[in-house]
Amino acid sequence: MPNAILDPTGRAGVQAAAPPGLELAPRRPGLAGQRVGLMNNTKHNAELLLAEIGKLLVAEHRDASVTIAQTKPNFAAPAPADLVERYQRECDVVITGVGDCGSCSASAVADGIGFERAGLPAAVICSDAFAVTAGAMAAMQGAPDYQYLITPHPVAVLTPEQVRERAKQLLPKVVAMLTERADQ
Amino acid sequence: MTEAVLDPDAAQAAIEHCYEQGWSDGLPLVPATQPAVDRFLAAAGRSPDEVIGRLPQLDRTVTVRLAAINAVMAGCRPEYFPVVLAAWEALMRERATGGGGWQSTSGPAPLIVVNGPVRAELGFNAAGGAFGPGFRPNATVPRAIGLIVRNVYGIHPHELEQATQGLPGRWSICLAENEEESPWPPLAAELGLPAGVSAVTATLLRTCEFVDNRHTSSAEQLLGDFADTIGRSGAWIFEHALAGVVFCPEHAQLIAAAGYDRAQVRGWLAERCGRSTADLARAGKDGLDGRVRLPGDGEPGSRFQRVLPDADSKSLLIAVAGARNAGISMVVRLFADWSGTAVPVRENEESR
Repeated sequence: MPNAILDPTGRAGVQAAAPPGLELAPRRPGLAGQRVGLMNNTKHNAELLLAEIGKLLVAEHRDASVTIAQTKPNFAAPAPADLVERYQRECDVVITGVGDCGSCSASAVADGIGFERAGLPAAVICSDAFAVTAGAMAAMQGAPDYQYLITPHPVAVLTPEQVRERAKQLLPKVVAMLTERADQ
Repeated sequence: MTEAVLDPDAAQAAIEHCYEQGWSDGLPLVPATQPAVDRFLAAAGRSPDEVIGRLPQLDRTVTVRLAAINAVMAGCRPEYFPVVLAAWEALMRERATGGGGWQSTSGPAPLIVVNGPVRAELGFNAAGGAFGPGFRPNATVPRAIGLIVRNVYGIHPHELEQATQGLPGRWSICLAENEEESPWPPLAAELGLPAGVSAVTATLLRTCEFVDNRHTSSAEQLLGDFADTIGRSGAWIFEHALAGVVFCPEHAQLIAAAGYDRAQVRGWLAERCGRSTADLARAGKDGLDGRVRLPGDGEPGSRFQRVLPDADSKSLLIAVAGARNAGISMVVRLFADWSGTAVPVRENEESR
């Protein structure tokens, strides 16, 4: 009997312990009166894009307000638990991104899934060039069908005016993602 | 004594099996078996369950055992395994390897530099063709690192690995320092380890680019040629950019003969590597938003901007490798900050 060929991944038999599937946080009836959280991941133009979307949301929805806008400490890793807890306390919905690099796209999706598990409806924005890596992370997090918002690549080189245009284009999709109108 | 029967058909079937599992970096793998892994573990004398790497965002953990399986597959011999572990440890000291470095669009390559007696004991090449190929330890030690990243971290190209173009030499840049023909102390000694200790230094690179200067006997003219390559704008993203130079013996000896030690080379280059604001403006990189470069606001173009942050040893890695047959050296571009440390190679004394 020859020797067995060893598995170099350490994952043989790990499937049984895969993370549970994802149940999305309850969507909001609408965004009127909602506290909106923004979390930018340090990527160029992410802060401006999120701020613009926040501004448009507040203008279009009565009594909505942006109550927390933070920068992730490490773009490559999911937001730490204490930061997620702050969003839980200080807002009702979260918008985050922009997934615009190898590791940050994957971790943006992990953030969205983390916010959903914490009970916060989340809209994650990724550049379309990173859909595969974002999807790979979603599968790794036990949520292969996780939906996030796609915006055309590139984002980093856009002028402020072009970023504002992107925000307008994304706005209806963000609203749909966070409210009961969403096609899940 | 009976000779072992070599069965090429069985070997081919086993190699194909490894491809089918998705374990390969594209080249054939040596199938790992328990007896082979046991020999590797014995050479290192480390607990197989010892955790030597973790990537929390992917929930993956590297143990000595998994590293050994991948080192077998890379084609290492058991006695190389302590060098693989030292190289891995040196890479784990890099900030980027615990963050998004392995997933980056830059597709960075480890640079592994080996010092000390282990070079000759294991047959590492320090002379001609230092950047490879042709020598088993130089080729298989970095390949083992790549297989650990692929298989244990699960970072596969086109999926969690998002390299835009990657770079030639990823998972194959491991050079031994040519201590015998270097005018300076070994790199590991410069970084604080006792002379004569076998050690590994490592960081991540974005590329290597040659400087061919067989034109001058002036150390300053020669260093000026390096300064031009180190200062180019294309490699410059943030306020500063880090680099290194792997000098060939001829260049190192010429510079040392003019009175320069490593620190003085760094000092000379730190002052002179860079571009004028006007040069950077032509590439849209003359201004700063925090630490990131962007088109500036038209400040006077004559100001000289330095690419290296300072003359600290961490800001410019200097090693010596290659043959003594031409003035051809390599500038290396660092992906992120470098720990500026060397890791001793820990062999299992009992197994030797």
